[in-house]
Amino acid sequence: MPEPAPPDVTPAGDDPNALPVLEPFRASEPLTIGVELELQLVNTHDYDLAPFSDEMLRLMSRIDLPGAVVPEMTSSMIEVSTGVCRSHAQVREELEQLRSALVRSADRLNIAVVGGGTHPFQQWHRQRIYDKPRFRELSELYGYLSKQFTVFGQHVHVGCHDADAALLMLHRMSRYIPHFVALSASSPFVQGQDTQFDSARLNSVAAFPMSGRAPFTLSWDGFRDFFSRSTRTGVVRSMKDFYWDIRPKPEYGTIEIRVFDTPLTASRAAALAGFVQALAAWLLHEQPFVPREEDYMVYTYNRFQACRFGLEAVYVDPVSGRHQPLREHILQTLAVVAPHARDVGASEAIEQLAEATRAGVNDARWLRQKQGAERLLAEVVRQASLRFQQAA
Amino acid sequence: MTDLTATWAAWLTPSAGLPTVQWSLLLALAAAAGHLVHRYMALPKIVGYSAIGAMAGLAGFSGVAWPLQGPVLFFVELCVSIVLFETGGRIALRWFRHNPMVLLQSVLEAALTYAAVYAALRWFEVRPSVADALALVAMASSPAVLSRVVADVRAAGPVTERALVLTTLGAFYAIALVAARVGMLQREDTHWLQLLQPVGVVLGVSVLAGAGIAVVLRLALRFMNPASENTSILLLATIAAGTALASPLGGSAPLSALLAGLLLKQFHPRPWSWPRQFGTAASLLVMLGFVVVALVAAQQPWDPMLSTTVLALLGARGVAKVGGVLLGNPGSGTSWRQALLTGVALSPMASLGLLLVSQLSAAAIFTGPQIAAIGLPAILVLEGVGAIFATYVLHRARESSEGTVTGGIHA
Repeated sequence: MPEPAPPDVTPAGDDPNALPVLEPFRASEPLTIGVELELQLVNTHDYDLAPFSDEMLRLMSRIDLPGAVVPEMTSSMIEVSTGVCRSHAQVREELEQLRSALVRSADRLNIAVVGGGTHPFQQWHRQRIYDKPRFRELSELYGYLSKQFTVFGQHVHVGCHDADAALLMLHRMSRYIPHFVALSASSPFVQGQDTQFDSARLNSVAAFPMSGRAPFTLSWDGFRDFFSRSTRTGVVRSMKDFYWDIRPKPEYGTIEIRVFDTPLTASRAAALAGFVQALAAWLLHEQPFVPREEDYMVYTYNRFQACRFGLEAVYVDPVSGRHQPLREHILQTLAVVAPHARDVGASEAIEQLAEATRAGVNDARWLRQKQGAERLLAEVVRQASLRFQQAA
Repeated sequence: MTDLTATWAAWLTPSAGLPTVQWSLLLALAAAAGHLVHRYMALPKIVGYSAIGAMAGLAGFSGVAWPLQGPVLFFVELCVSIVLFETGGRIALRWFRHNPMVLLQSVLEAALTYAAVYAALRWFEVRPSVADALALVAMASSPAVLSRVVADVRAAGPVTERALVLTTLGAFYAIALVAARVGMLQREDTHWLQLLQPVGVVLGVSVLAGAGIAVVLRLALRFMNPASENTSILLLATIAAGTALASPLGGSAPLSALLAGLLLKQFHPRPWSWPRQFGTAASLLVMLGFVVVALVAAQQPWDPMLSTTVLALLGARGVAKVGGVLLGNPGSGTSWRQALLTGVALSPMASLGLLLVSQLSAAAIFTGPQIAAIGLPAILVLEGVGAIFATYVLHRARESSEGTVTGGIHA
């Protein structure tokens, strides 16, 4: 899993008019994990977004680090990723090294690094595109939508033995999208306003035509057919064009969960990855249910509830239709996966999340509390930057 | 013409008087010119302000005595103080601990500028005391021009930030050294310990005044919202009071404001949102500053014989500023290209330069006219041309918002 990889489209021979072909799924060690974090770069004057990604990349390239540091669509953001990790402890260690290096580099440039799914008051139309052909191309295609999309997420990859196992894991994991959203939610403010959502970031993602859930198929052949149909229409050219909540990543041999807001701390990001790993271990070893297309009947409603109300959301069981507080279901899930968390070394992560869930605390709530006390979003960003600076 | 003016003056006596009407019309014209050059020629608005000021000066507009004094001196000081307060508040001292090369860049560019300008003027056989005075003034760039340009093109990024900080530090050195130089001119002692006394007095009083302003604002911010209009008014009024008090007490008003901003930033690290609230009142003051600079500079008798000397000063200063920034660049976190652009962004001179030349002219009875004869044309050129350079540089650095806006697809 996340090894440096070739593009996820294999050109069919030398014919430039040939349709893209789906990359073969590379097997990877099951239950390995990898984390990507998109982070905000802000100035230390008024704490607005600051276009310093080139300078950060230059300084970070001089430090020996695990994983990778890459530019993102706009020049006020940066993405860091761990290497292939086997445990929560390893993720935490690698994220901690990256965090420490980011803080040191930012200090040298007189800027700050901040987590969170949105910058609370940045003006989207003032952001600048990073000078890279793909980013320019996407900006031209999506126009206004791309300008609205200055948001920051955490992606967690889970290694899968083969392609069919990846699809099975993907559709099982889909039941837990609300859990992931509520636990990571950190984007209540957009354009200077409280959106009343805990995760407003996902509303920006929803505007894209290829967003939402992946098509329901449990066989890679079926998925390849779907991909071929999509590319034939010319709407899709590669897997990168799908902005699904969870998508397969054939070149890594993983599924990639993309609904997390970037948390305010590296510690929380590692804990979320630990939860995903423990959940995956439970699903893999106990095969507790077989996913069905009908599961998706309540998918959008559950997702909306989690975005809107966070840990206070209602969760609708896709099988029984029973309504219960999401917080309760998260605690039940954490209890169920706890033995598997022990096996994969994620007990600490599970306990950390259980404690926060019992207290009803996520980063969105923290941000709102700070704004309630300070009544100045720039000060909230400053305090969030101090929170990011703290070692795990 | 004189009769007509006298008639107007007599007719206007019951109101604010003829000078008020003249200044109001001048500012109205400057505002319109600023808008037009920006809208139709893509030039910085300052070029329009300067052009109107210069035309008024060349046409013999009266009302500004030289060296500056009275209300005009106060307004120019206030304009410089407001800008320096804000730029002083951008300086986080902890940055220099994490990146001492920035401080070195600043010291190098200022020292090199002094040396280069002094040497160039001496090459043209300008007397040492005049060369020394002008070399000190040349160290200062214009925080007002740079801030205005940054606001106009909505710039943000490494070059913008670095240029603003280097400009502020340069202003700090120049104000302190010129104030000390003026103090020395007024003494007959030659012993170095006694010569240090004026430096101590200027710095001491300025630090005290700056600390006073910072304390008042810190106390106010305990119960006032920085985003409120009332806080902005309190801020402006406090700076104005500090400006009025610092100079008579033996300090420097702009230096006090700069130190106030710097101290407030250290003891009150919360974000500064009031510059956005400064609004039209502060903009008007800053614009007035640009007009006065051009007006005063253009009013001076132009001596074509001195033009080569002025050009030499400008050339030496430009090369030294770029050279100093480049020399201190390794390890400072910016690329060579960015360092080059930062050096060019330091070229503007405006109201701060005018204030320093005025101070020196007032203190040096015999050499004052020569200091003004070389210094003022240089400032006039660098107000307009420097603003154009700074705008160009921010575009080249891709740090201006114009034409580059968009967002991202990634999450």
